[in-house]
Amino acid sequence: MNRRLKLILAAGLTLGALTAGATAAYAMIQGDASATLRASGQAGEQADGYLGVVGSGSADLRAQVDAVNIKRRAYYTDLAAKRGAKIEEVAATTACELLRSKVVQGQYYRLSDGVWRQRDSAPVPLPGYCG
Amino acid sequence: MIMPILTGLRPGATQGAMRRVKFLLLAPAVLMGSGCVQVSAPDKPIEINLNINIRQEVVVRLQQDVKELIDKNPGVF
Repeated sequence: MNRRLKLILAAGLTLGALTAGATAAYAMIQGDASATLRASGQAGEQADGYLGVVGSGSADLRAQVDAVNIKRRAYYTDLAAKRGAKIEEVAATTACELLRSKVVQGQYYRLSDGVWRQRDSAPVPLPGYCG
Repeated sequence: MIMPILTGLRPGATQGAMRRVKFLLLAPAVLMGSGCVQVSAPDKPIEINLNINIRQEVVVRLQQDVKELIDKNPGVF
């Protein structure tokens, strides 16, 4: 192996390590974004399958909520297309599950009446269609 | 003049090294440009309509897929 090849290889390995590190760090930041937002009490789960800002959040908070919702919308769209369902139907079904299993005591949720409520020790009262 | 004789006849000594440095500096820029995931906002804002009109049989049909979706994407759900 000549010197030039070795240099190129070294550069490649270094870059690979850097990229992997950056990806891992990014995953850690994004890893529990929606759980962190729910736990902050500044965002909550809505019956439409999206996160909502409780009260008037900061621009940064709204950006974080929007970022999660854009990803959710993409997943809903994808699954809806696969199952021949409407995006809203997939989203609402997801909301049933999220309200049931992800909103824990002290966290906020909002149903069709549009009012933010804080979950107490009882489960979130689910909409009738959730089954 | 002694200097040109020493270096001028051996371009590989300096020019070859500079070419490698140039390559090494360029490579990260190229890789970073293609490595970024572009997340662009949709044109329309996501409409919030909390009055959901959906039949329970649709929920039942989608439930298993939705559970998997949530489990596979813990950061988003």
